[in-house]
Amino acid sequence: MGKIKAVTGNTSAALGAALSKVQVVAAYPITPQSSVVEYLAQMIADGDLPARMVQVESEHSAMSVVQGAVAAGARAFTATSAQGLALMYEPYFRMSTLRFPMVMAIAGREMTSPEGVWGGQQDTISVRDAGWIQYYVENNQEIIDTIIEGYKVTENNDVLIPVNVCYDGFFLSHLYERIELPEQSEVDAFIPNYNPTHYAFNPERPMALDPMTPGDILMEYRESHLQGMQNALGVIEQVDKEFEKAFGRSYGGLVEEYRCEDADTILVTMGSMTGTAREAIDAKREEGIKVGLLKVRVMRPFPVEKVRNVLSGRKAFAVVDRNVCFGWNTGALYMEVKAALGSLGEKISSIPVIGGLGGADITQKHFMQCIDLLEEVKKTQVEHKTVWLKKEGIA
Amino acid sequence: MNYIDKLLQSEDLVSPGISACQGCGAELILRTALKIMGKDTAVVIPPGCMAGAGVVGWNFDNGLKVPVHISLLDNTAAFMTGVKTMYEFSGKDTKVVGIAGDGATSDCGFQSLSGAAERGENLIYICYDNEGYMNTGFQRSGTTSKGSLTSTTPVGKVIKGKEQNKKDLPMIMADHDIAYTATLSPAYMQDFVRKLEKAASFDSGFRYLHIYSPCPTGWGTAPECSIDIARKAVQTNFFPLFEVENHKYTLNLEVKNPQPVSELIKQMGKFRHLTEEDIQEMQKMVDRKYNKLKALAAMSQDN
Repeated sequence: MGKIKAVTGNTSAALGAALSKVQVVAAYPITPQSSVVEYLAQMIADGDLPARMVQVESEHSAMSVVQGAVAAGARAFTATSAQGLALMYEPYFRMSTLRFPMVMAIAGREMTSPEGVWGGQQDTISVRDAGWIQYYVENNQEIIDTIIEGYKVTENNDVLIPVNVCYDGFFLSHLYERIELPEQSEVDAFIPNYNPTHYAFNPERPMALDPMTPGDILMEYRESHLQGMQNALGVIEQVDKEFEKAFGRSYGGLVEEYRCEDADTILVTMGSMTGTAREAIDAKREEGIKVGLLKVRVMRPFPVEKVRNVLSGRKAFAVVDRNVCFGWNTGALYMEVKAALGSLGEKISSIPVIGGLGGADITQKHFMQCIDLLEEVKKTQVEHKTVWLKKEGIA
Repeated sequence: MNYIDKLLQSEDLVSPGISACQGCGAELILRTALKIMGKDTAVVIPPGCMAGAGVVGWNFDNGLKVPVHISLLDNTAAFMTGVKTMYEFSGKDTKVVGIAGDGATSDCGFQSLSGAAERGENLIYICYDNEGYMNTGFQRSGTTSKGSLTSTTPVGKVIKGKEQNKKDLPMIMADHDIAYTATLSPAYMQDFVRKLEKAASFDSGFRYLHIYSPCPTGWGTAPECSIDIARKAVQTNFFPLFEVENHKYTLNLEVKNPQPVSELIKQMGKFRHLTEEDIQEMQKMVDRKYNKLKALAAMSQDN
């Protein structure tokens, strides 16, 4: 068993990158991600991490530097939040469409306006169609573990798609939690040093990287990218199983079910709110209410089959989103879940729930009220109007 | 070996069949620069004339015989930084060279360029300055000269051409205290080759080369006059040849009896509408800039 430490989510992310022996790091500080950059800079300054770090002048350049580094054969890492992610959107989209493997940690933060620095998932949710794999994790242990898993997924030849490990800003980034630190030797065995057999910018094998490409060829690239995403569904599951064998922990791969066996109703969550939801499920189970929890761990690729299997045959479900989907009057995960269910969704009552934006709390009481509401709507087949988690309770 | 033999004996690293407009300064600059840089070079070219001419490639054909990537318009220096950082990490000496137009350099790409220069990245960045976004149809850039007609600074009844001064990139880059800054002209090949060799000779630090690049298509000049125009730009002190190393400014060519700037601009369609007054104002700007440069060069000798 590895060493036990008390660390913040940001430290956990930095340690995950260091254990993965990243070779090039480029990052620009932004609240709430900054201490990831500081921690890695300290490790490199102390000689504990033999990597090169480029202290760039913006997130746009952070993503551009790691793009150049991966083009030259590197295992690379960066981290950001909200406005930083928005600024790097141009090279961010290109990273995935170049099919360059890497892992980027994102301490999720609400997008401005109104101005704020607090947690939310709007930043990463807004770029869920930019071609990256997106994990949303629940706690600090899962951050470090998912970064290590992420390198194994992204570097898989059937995938070659960059990976975001998203964790809620402040709720995890600044929260100290107990983690078990994987041993370096075990990580080395799990993800050996990166030695790509093929990389683009090799002076010994000159080639043009990204020449002008007409639509018929571009479509082949997109088809292959979509296929890579579908391949990732299996690879993510497999890697999580291998991780369990090596480290004794697992996260269900794409989704995790909690007390779903005989459940009539299901709460669907994503990210750090899941821990609170577990408590609410336990409390309601004590009262004899048959409610379960579905934690969606991977938003891209969307685990359509898994979600459909878990929700199939239930009477009602509620999806709690820490983001909004403009134009749908719901959160994004709700929309995705409904799309995954297709006609099956017509037979199950559902409640879109939005809360926790801009660092607002999602409390156990909120979840208890959602479960109570599920008990009401499960008797009919309805799509409930969107529920907002307010300070005073659900509305 | 003299520079002519050197150029004759060096391999052309641009693929056959690549060609820009007739009389294009940038194509000559690219071919010559790569001959001097040699095979152990990786090239980054943002969107612009050289990328548009197919230098990065088209379909499945390479445009160069060395690794080449079309960066984003605004991240050339940052992408180069990543490539070079990994090369250094893995013990490779391969030079990383950027070849970018003035728009990608002075406007949206300036942040990443300035950042890389400030960090002193081990890179060679070449800007071919044709005074605008020529590849997309001659739109104004920050480096378009004042008074110039472009497709976004038309000559109208009220406003006649660009109303603002040209951003002085070589001076701005030199003020980053980088390893080496130089201005080059394709009309002065000996100086041109020497400066490229000089830039290639460093084993660390940021080197910035700013090259005057005549554009017959966009400027309304005769294709066969490109070299003549490049020479006149130097002879009028419109584009003086200088270099900056170790904070020392050196004028590489002191023109004894500089011609008036009107001699340069009378050949250019883009300045056809200028009045006597406009030309006088341009002459004043040229004199002011040249005097500043002379003063810096004199100061450098004193120190």
